[in-house]
Amino acid sequence: MDRIKTGITSLDEMLGGGFLRDTANLVEGAPGTGKTTLGMQFIYNGIMKDNEPGLIITFEEFPKQYYHDAAAFGWDFVGLEKKGLLKIVMTSPEVSHMDIKSVGGMIEGYVDQMDARRVVIDSISHFARLTQDPVELRGMEFDFINGLKREGLTSILTRESPVLLGESTDDSDIGFVVDSYLIMRYVEIESAIRKALLVLKMRGSDHAKDIRQYEITEYGIEVQSTFEGQEGILSGSPRRMADSFVEAFVKKN
Amino acid sequence: MASKEDDFTARLMDDMDPALLDFVKTKVNSFVKWDLVRFFHENPHTADTVENIAKYAGRNVTAVGPELDELVESGIMKKSMLGDTAIYSLETDEEMHALVDKFILACEDRHFRVKAVYHIIRGMR
Repeated sequence: MDRIKTGITSLDEMLGGGFLRDTANLVEGAPGTGKTTLGMQFIYNGIMKDNEPGLIITFEEFPKQYYHDAAAFGWDFVGLEKKGLLKIVMTSPEVSHMDIKSVGGMIEGYVDQMDARRVVIDSISHFARLTQDPVELRGMEFDFINGLKREGLTSILTRESPVLLGESTDDSDIGFVVDSYLIMRYVEIESAIRKALLVLKMRGSDHAKDIRQYEITEYGIEVQSTFEGQEGILSGSPRRMADSFVEAFVKKN
Repeated sequence: MASKEDDFTARLMDDMDPALLDFVKTKVNSFVKWDLVRFFHENPHTADTVENIAKYAGRNVTAVGPELDELVESGIMKKSMLGDTAIYSLETDEEMHALVDKFILACEDRHFRVKAVYHIIRGMR
């Protein structure tokens, strides 16, 4: 299977080698969990390691902010744009939705000019402002995702979770439309906030089922080990597993 | 009739690069246009409707619409139709990009900004 690596070694391992080519991949998390950082890293590593130009389509944050944030990780997005390997496009869900359906639109034009292979949509949550009707919304997201696939783009779609700790109460259907679904969560352990990453779904491929810790370091996202001896991670307030359970299943390994 | 003092000020303020003086007098001749040019310089691949661009600029849509159209007329911006919707983006002409870059760079100098403000206010009279 043709894999598109994120360039984050442990995450690629969790994904069975990377995302599948021409797929739409949802990354959901609360503010500050690193969704956009993960997206930027996916684009940067694609350009630098796999020679795959990329697009970032933003519906809210100004491109100027991405240049600034990327520079903090040592990623020269301004330089990559000058070389024609990256474009950070600011637009709206309504324009991008109309554009992807049109022949010779802006996104199609960028894909042709740059030979772009990757795209980050930041964030797909903004499609919710196009309609109040959940069925219509699912249809619009489906159109848009199919348009990206038609253009040969492997995408990361970020999605905002309104809940800081614990499971999201959002009842959007987009999880059904995408090919893979990653969750980034805050977890409170012993009075400290840590971050957890899970690959919830990956269509057409095996993937890791465990919940990993990760950090946002000066180099970007770094995925680490699992949460040893903890259960109920996704609740946001995990509890230590019963000692006997730990004795039986964890300490043995 | 202009006083001698006005003449002196005008001469002082005309002490600008001729290309930039023309740019300020004929293209970026309002504060809304100045904001828009700066916004598109900082976020060069923005493409959106007048309503959304007004939101990004933090301005009223009724103020932004005519100014965007004038920027299109002066060759700084481009207007394209997506169905019935007008989409504005920065013109891709390299010469115009260079002029915009030169203007934004010049704006880092306080004296230049004072002169540009003077010409914009004068043009509004």
